[in-house]
Amino acid sequence: MIASLIATFLAALVEWVEAYTIILAVALSIGWRRALAAAGGALLVLAVLTGAGSFILTRINDLYILQLVVGILLTLFGVRWLGKAVARGAGLKQLHDEDAEFAALRARSDIHDRRAAWFIAFNGTLLEGLEVWLIVVALGVQMHHTLAAAGAALLALGVVAAAGVLLRKPLARVPENVIKFTVGAAMLSFGSFWVLEALGYHWPLGDATLPALFIFYSAGGLALVRFYAVAIGDVKVI
Amino acid sequence: MRGFIKTLFGDQRTLSVVGLSILVAVVVLHSPAELAAGLALPVSLLAGAAYLARH
Repeated sequence: MIASLIATFLAALVEWVEAYTIILAVALSIGWRRALAAAGGALLVLAVLTGAGSFILTRINDLYILQLVVGILLTLFGVRWLGKAVARGAGLKQLHDEDAEFAALRARSDIHDRRAAWFIAFNGTLLEGLEVWLIVVALGVQMHHTLAAAGAALLALGVVAAAGVLLRKPLARVPENVIKFTVGAAMLSFGSFWVLEALGYHWPLGDATLPALFIFYSAGGLALVRFYAVAIGDVKVI
Repeated sequence: MRGFIKTLFGDQRTLSVVGLSILVAVVVLHSPAELAAGLALPVSLLAGAAYLARH
């Protein structure tokens, strides 16, 4: 359970940092009150979605079907994040740059329009928060700790908000790619563990397989970073 | 709505990678080498992550 809460916290931290960049860019155009109202509206939608998602998943009485649904969702999420982190770590894609994102947002012509800017903040927070929502609902329902998972996501929100209040600039020094790599490997571990179990497979080590899977995906991911970096002649660390 | 669906399920490549990996696991699971399914799925998914990183 601790591992799933740490993964939820880290995933939420990355997403809230990205959402904060959007809110900051919008706030400089239409003011903090309106920007925060837009973000608050998006958070409210996410809270409703969390309740609805948990309610729907807990209606599934068959444990194996629930494991399969949650496992597939987490696997889809994990393979995407691990692939993205490997590509960025190896230099195949540019690292996510909050300062550049902020500058691009500030350069948008519609950010000075009050309604358009409100929508940018609302939509940005909602889309960044959807990945947090997915993890909170999937891990929370499967581990029977939705409130604790939501608490971990809210704690991350508090940390980002506090850093934002203190710094008043994009949080560019958060090691986003390392976090995405770690969370991607963790989500793949949970996802593949539950998918196979739902299909009738009995893991020889039981729950102790989870750390082994995490080590496998992490080591494999690091090997891929090294392989691609060497292939393009750009050896870097994640 | 498009962003919502993409966030939940990813793009076509992600769906194909996960679908194929699960298919491989199911085939191995129903073969005489069923114990190897615990290796087949992680290896397939890691190969899928490698493919997604490149595309």
